[in-house]
Amino acid sequence: MNLSGYRKKSPWILHYNAGSCNGCDIEILACLGPKYDIERFGMINTGNPKQSDILLVTGPVTKRSRERLVEIYAQMPEPKVVIACGACASTGGVFRGMYNCEGGVDQYIPVDVYVCGCGTRPEQIIDGVVQGLAILEQKTKELEASVKLNNEAIEENHQVNRRHIAASIK
Amino acid sequence: MTNMYISIILIIAAPLIGGLLYGFERIVKARMQRRIGPPLLQPFYDFFKLADKRKMVVHSAHAFLGIMHFISLWFALAVLLLGGDLILVIFLHLLSSALLILSAYSTRSVFSHLGANRSAISILAYEPVLIIIAVSIFMLTGSFEAGAAFSSNQPLLYKMPLAFVALLLVLPIKLKKSPFDVAEAHQEVTGGVELEFSGIFYEAVYTAKWLDYVFCYTLIFLFAGSNLLLGFALSIFTFIYLNALDNSTARVNYKQMLRFSLGVSFSLAFINLLINSLS
Repeated sequence: MNLSGYRKKSPWILHYNAGSCNGCDIEILACLGPKYDIERFGMINTGNPKQSDILLVTGPVTKRSRERLVEIYAQMPEPKVVIACGACASTGGVFRGMYNCEGGVDQYIPVDVYVCGCGTRPEQIIDGVVQGLAILEQKTKELEASVKLNNEAIEENHQVNRRHIAASIK
Repeated sequence: MTNMYISIILIIAAPLIGGLLYGFERIVKARMQRRIGPPLLQPFYDFFKLADKRKMVVHSAHAFLGIMHFISLWFALAVLLLGGDLILVIFLHLLSSALLILSAYSTRSVFSHLGANRSAISILAYEPVLIIIAVSIFMLTGSFEAGAAFSSNQPLLYKMPLAFVALLLVLPIKLKKSPFDVAEAHQEVTGGVELEFSGIFYEAVYTAKWLDYVFCYTLIFLFAGSNLLLGFALSIFTFIYLNALDNSTARVNYKQMLRFSLGVSFSLAFINLLINSLS
């Protein structure tokens, strides 16, 4: 029996604030309110990584929060999708180049969908989640195979860049 | 004999009825907040999705206890629907909750332990009231059998209204509804006892929640006797009352919950028992 069609009917969302200014977080919570009401698509804000499908990350991933981010990502069972919400989560935003963060979620975990904006609008978040659902349907529930990474991190414009390390996997 | 067949059909279809009830409840709750709400079959979509997720087992005993929680709860419901001993039903229900609490204690997660502590406290809050209600039913019908209550010609509600009020006050604790949802408390302990379950093992706990709905509404039916119409009226009233209460109140802490339950609900049930035994 093929059950993967049900994934897009009940995506459970886990929201993690990786050092955000709270702007994007408020917009995510606005999605749950009466105006946008994403529960009509079956989405629940669970807050429990072991039962959720979509990880919504906001904020530029400060050095304090990066271990928690990786830990939460590892605790989510496959299939899972990561959505970077907002300019900070996508690239570092206004915090890019600062000493306490390294610019973007994709420095640490693979990101499937980037949602732009500072802060993002609820419409954009919903659109990003819908795009994420199309990706979620294609994913398998097997663990991803381990890959040997050859590239080293490089520093450019006072900013450590790890993006191209994982690029060799794809 | 036809009663027996109806009970057996109800027992087999209990998860289905509970799932529909839960789906309907989510719609009603959403409409109360002026939202549209999920589709009616949403719990079943969740069910199928969870079946397709990768299983992350903490350890085998943990997963086993979660499944046993579901089975023992279904068994308790079966005994209740077949008209068995009420004390046995309450005991079996307690056993199923105890299994879930044990499973939560068996992990190393702090939130899981907190949830288990709180669940144990909520059992302490509602269980005495249920036992007093069972004793009241014994005083009126002369037997602990649920069947005697189901088949009594005069609805028990007229003779024990205070016990019904007490049941209404403890039902939110049992169903983990808002003023008394410390055990689940999604914003504080993210689900408490069910925290460490995932994939198909979470499904057992999730489905057990549906069975709990059927269990509670069957308890409501006890008060209507053989009058089915009154039973449905009471259930609809309870349904609206529970959802309105859930939407309009904030969570109290466990001390307030225990004080309220043992102070007000327990006294109400006890006064009712005294009146029943004197008259």
